[in-house]
Amino acid sequence: MSELPPAGITPRPDIRAPAARPAGADLGQRVRALLLSDYFVLYLSLAYFLALVPFLPTLSTPGNIVNLMSNMWPLLVVAVGQTFVLTIAGIDLSQGAVMGLTSVVVAMLIATAAPATVLANAPIWGSLLTEQGGLLAGIPFASAVGIAAMLAVAALVGLFNGLAVARLSMPPFMVTLVTMIAVAAFAIWLTQSNNIRELPESFISLGKGDIVSVYLGPKLESQLPRREVYSFITWPMVIALAAAVFAHILLNRTVFGRWVFAVGINRKAAEISGVPVARVIVTVFVISAVCAAIASILYTARLETGRPTLGGGNFLLDVIGATVIGGTSLFGGKGKVIWTFFGVLFFVLLSNTLNLLNLSAFHIDMVKGGVILMAALLDVVRTRLMRSAT
Amino acid sequence: MTRLQALAAGTILAGAAMTAGSASAATICFAFQDLETEFWVAGHGAITKTLKDAGHTVIERNANEDANRQLEQVRDCIAQGVDGIILIPQDGESATTIVAEAQDADTPIAVFNRPPSDLSKGIVVVADNATIAGQAVDSIVEKAIAAKPEGKLNAIIVVGDLGDPNAVGRKNGFYAAINKHADRFDVTEVASQWDAATALANLEAAVTANPKVDLLFTSSDFLFPTIRSVFEPRGLWKKTGEEGHVWMAGLDGDATACQLVKDGFVDATGVQDLYFEAEKSLEAILAAIDAGEAQPNEVIEDPGFALTTDNLGTREKDMWGCVLLSQGFLKNKS
Amino acid sequence: MTALLAFDGLSKDWFGVPAVTDFTLGIEPGSSLGLIGENGAGKSTLMNMVGGVVAPSSGRMTWQGEPYAPATPADAARRGIAFIHQELNLFTNLSIAENIFIDGFPRRFGLIDRARIAATARSLLQRLDLDHAPDTIVGELAPGERQLVEIAKALHREADLIIFDEPTTSLTPRETARLFDVIARLRAEGRTLIYISHILGDVTRVCDQVAVLRDGRLIDHGPVADFPVPRMIRAMIGRELSGLFPDRSATPSPTVIFRAEGLGQPGVIETISFEAHAGEILGLFGLMGSGRSELARAAFGLDPLASGTLALADRPLTGPTAARIAAGMAFVTENRREEGLMLEAPVADNLSLVAVRAFGRGPLALLDREAHAVATERARAELGVRAGRIATQPVKALSGGNQQKVVIGKWLMADPRFFILDEPTRGVDVGAKYEIYTLIDRLAAAGSGILFISSEVEELIGMCDRILVMSRGELVRAFTPPFNREQILASAFREAVT
Repeated sequence: MSELPPAGITPRPDIRAPAARPAGADLGQRVRALLLSDYFVLYLSLAYFLALVPFLPTLSTPGNIVNLMSNMWPLLVVAVGQTFVLTIAGIDLSQGAVMGLTSVVVAMLIATAAPATVLANAPIWGSLLTEQGGLLAGIPFASAVGIAAMLAVAALVGLFNGLAVARLSMPPFMVTLVTMIAVAAFAIWLTQSNNIRELPESFISLGKGDIVSVYLGPKLESQLPRREVYSFITWPMVIALAAAVFAHILLNRTVFGRWVFAVGINRKAAEISGVPVARVIVTVFVISAVCAAIASILYTARLETGRPTLGGGNFLLDVIGATVIGGTSLFGGKGKVIWTFFGVLFFVLLSNTLNLLNLSAFHIDMVKGGVILMAALLDVVRTRLMRSAT
Repeated sequence: MTRLQALAAGTILAGAAMTAGSASAATICFAFQDLETEFWVAGHGAITKTLKDAGHTVIERNANEDANRQLEQVRDCIAQGVDGIILIPQDGESATTIVAEAQDADTPIAVFNRPPSDLSKGIVVVADNATIAGQAVDSIVEKAIAAKPEGKLNAIIVVGDLGDPNAVGRKNGFYAAINKHADRFDVTEVASQWDAATALANLEAAVTANPKVDLLFTSSDFLFPTIRSVFEPRGLWKKTGEEGHVWMAGLDGDATACQLVKDGFVDATGVQDLYFEAEKSLEAILAAIDAGEAQPNEVIEDPGFALTTDNLGTREKDMWGCVLLSQGFLKNKS
Repeated sequence: MTALLAFDGLSKDWFGVPAVTDFTLGIEPGSSLGLIGENGAGKSTLMNMVGGVVAPSSGRMTWQGEPYAPATPADAARRGIAFIHQELNLFTNLSIAENIFIDGFPRRFGLIDRARIAATARSLLQRLDLDHAPDTIVGELAPGERQLVEIAKALHREADLIIFDEPTTSLTPRETARLFDVIARLRAEGRTLIYISHILGDVTRVCDQVAVLRDGRLIDHGPVADFPVPRMIRAMIGRELSGLFPDRSATPSPTVIFRAEGLGQPGVIETISFEAHAGEILGLFGLMGSGRSELARAAFGLDPLASGTLALADRPLTGPTAARIAAGMAFVTENRREEGLMLEAPVADNLSLVAVRAFGRGPLALLDREAHAVATERARAELGVRAGRIATQPVKALSGGNQQKVVIGKWLMADPRFFILDEPTRGVDVGAKYEIYTLIDRLAAAGSGILFISSEVEELIGMCDRILVMSRGELVRAFTPPFNREQILASAFREAVT
């Protein structure tokens, strides 16, 4: 019954593109195309970067760029996992807790030593962990086995989440809230909240390992002269990009990806059309948890410590914030890994610039909230534009 | 609790900057793990003003209890080219990594409030929670036994969030003191998770189950108002010397605790000497910058002490809570 | 006599594409105008201009002789124009009374005057023979009852012109009868009506004037007496329809393709047994609540079955929906928007949803995008779906008829041998209905068995080889040609009438 204007025509008069003027219908078109582009958040990040460089000379220094990138990689992996869950109209609150648990798991297996004074009260002391280190300490490929254990533990948590959501039809928010609380508590109980240090070098190198570094000579700005060596290509970068590329292919180029979108857009229709809905949901939650475990590898290695409280605090808000800023919808059916990539980039850039602005600690959080709000508003505008195009 | 310390650090750093500000204008990055506005407002204002007056710049970084974020923030500080870093870490393990990161970038770093697990790197000011808690509990254990030489005594420990190594150390210190007379005490553990509401619920349950209490140790002074609200209606909130007095000790040395020790309700509070810690951190950092030392390594002991009803007169001014109290801190609040 | 509402050269175009062109017509007070036309003919745009939702590009309207140019829907409501929409605008979580008064609650001492609300609402409900307390929550009402609440709302506002947009789409025959009763009463009160419907018989029954829109233009209009159904259809689609139904192109084979034996689920369906043959179109008629849709869902593995067996081509049919699809079964749901389509997703993705597995290549099941594009485009062409770029155009942008073709078409790539079609022509206009019937005939001619469920007897009579009738969860009778319309209806009403 509806008379719809054909697709791809100029905006309706009631949606005013920011720069549209009577004479500038063409400009309006371009603004619209920009807003609807997959690369919108990337452009936004670049514009933001360029706008701030004159005021923050530090921003474009190699040292800062390296920081930006190293902050980005682990967050990207977690956010990619969240992208899958959001796309099926779910949410995974347990990612942070999975990071904490897997961080402890790998550390208690592969630590090369552990102080009794700190860890003697932990339930794993004596069995899994002793003064001589973890169960796998010293065996060949200990790190690889430890990482496999992390991924397996994460997959189990994801499996639980997925089964509860798919088979018992429980709301994802509740299920993952419960797993978040239980898994975090379990991780803390395992070590009685102590951290496990002394991880083998082969594991730690995954957190910082330089593949390509650049030496730019001594830096003379601070009172003490410094060496300047910058790691541009690092293991976290390789791992995160590999995970993101794989996730992108999985979501956009495979039958499974189609099913993910089908479940997110209309679960009933997907069911009736023979989409293995339960299997898709379970798989998606497993992917989310495994992504958290991969990020946990990067964070654990970079901090050189197995930490039960890894991924606690506001971390999850960063993950969901970055994913949604990228353009993935909280209502499901709309998500792209490349959007999430740009969302994470923007988010990390934002945190970084706010730090560099040397605002007081309160102001940083206030500005951050404001910018996220702006991004959310822009998303609303984009959604409206997209609607009007159909 | 840690927030109190953050504040203390703030005020004290300010003072230290004046005395130790011999280095030419320096940019100092002050990275701490969390803040609580109420206390921070005072500390923050003081620290920036004083450092500016001394010609220094201070860059503050709040990690919101996230060790990873703290690492990223310290990296940002380094990228900005600060001359030195003063760190209140989230925990000892991440502190070690951050110290290594800073030293690797030729930036001097000092750590206080929580020591890195590896004390050999960086300027480290150490106070031992277990020792301090032990000092405070020792004093009330002796008094409790003296007051009641026969029979079992009921002791309560309000433990903190065991995710916080401070809480674990304090608990250990408590047991070290109690276990000297293990046969005389029955101990009940009350969990607080560093949260007043949780502490209230659990303490009420414990006291309802066993209304007879002889001795109580709280892992942090900030829980004293909560304890009071449970004890007072049950007739357990009495001054020293009054019938039914519960021997009480805490830790942190905040303004409320100072007041309570003065009033005689609380018998002892163990306190990290934060004035000492912050002052030493800043002194050492500025000295390292002056000396052109990019990787200064030094361990500075913070002896800490227990403020008791007995030494109140002599040690009061060393406790930051009492200093705040004397500046009218509690009056402004209430 | 001054027209209540008059259109004078009214036009609207969307960015140069005309939706309504030079529409001129007067509606006399107290008359009842049937507005008909295919989907996309301009009916909605026209009504949106009346309702103040969109502004005309040119031309004007007058209301009781005064110029009328509503800027907002509220303007239209203030003049006394009420809309009873296809998708009802009620708050299902509020009570009947609250819905009626939603625009402005009467107050007393600053508080909402509940007593007055209840009293007014009660008298309105009495006028409409709606036997519910005013504080009943609207969500608990049947669709037909909800519609009466909408009408009560219009009456409460003292609307002079009431516009019905496809009001009977989701109503049972009994609810429809009651609606017509109410409409007759509204007319007797002297209210003016505009009635938009695809069901031309209803238009003949309810209206005294007919206006036909095609491609945004008023093609034909006049008293309903001069408009037999064939003339309406001719005007709507611009050509003669030889008949409403296509000739069947093949006869059923004797091979049984689908067999149901003793299907039962307490309180829903009871001991249902039937067989369907390859190439047969087997009709299933029943009123709402007769269990016909429940039977379909249970057979497809969507709802549980307590007893009975199913077989497809002599193989037992068990397991979840996906297994039944793999065995060769297809199900076209009656609920297109909620269960049939991914509205936001492109047409192509909807078309390939059932068979998407076939496009997976390699261990990762990488989508063969080229094959996908070719296959979906072929399916689109075969189905005659009128759409733009199917790889990007969301299916929600299609007309109802084209959407329905997609709902049926997504099964075709999976090559099923037995189809269950639940109300496949609901909410579809005449031209598109014919195309869907043709499609069903083609499926049968290709050897598939078809269970055609409908609440329109005429289409079953027009299309089916046999017709089963369900009532209160039981199969009560089977009919073979020549079909007797009255007997079919009577057996469906068996229990309901007496």
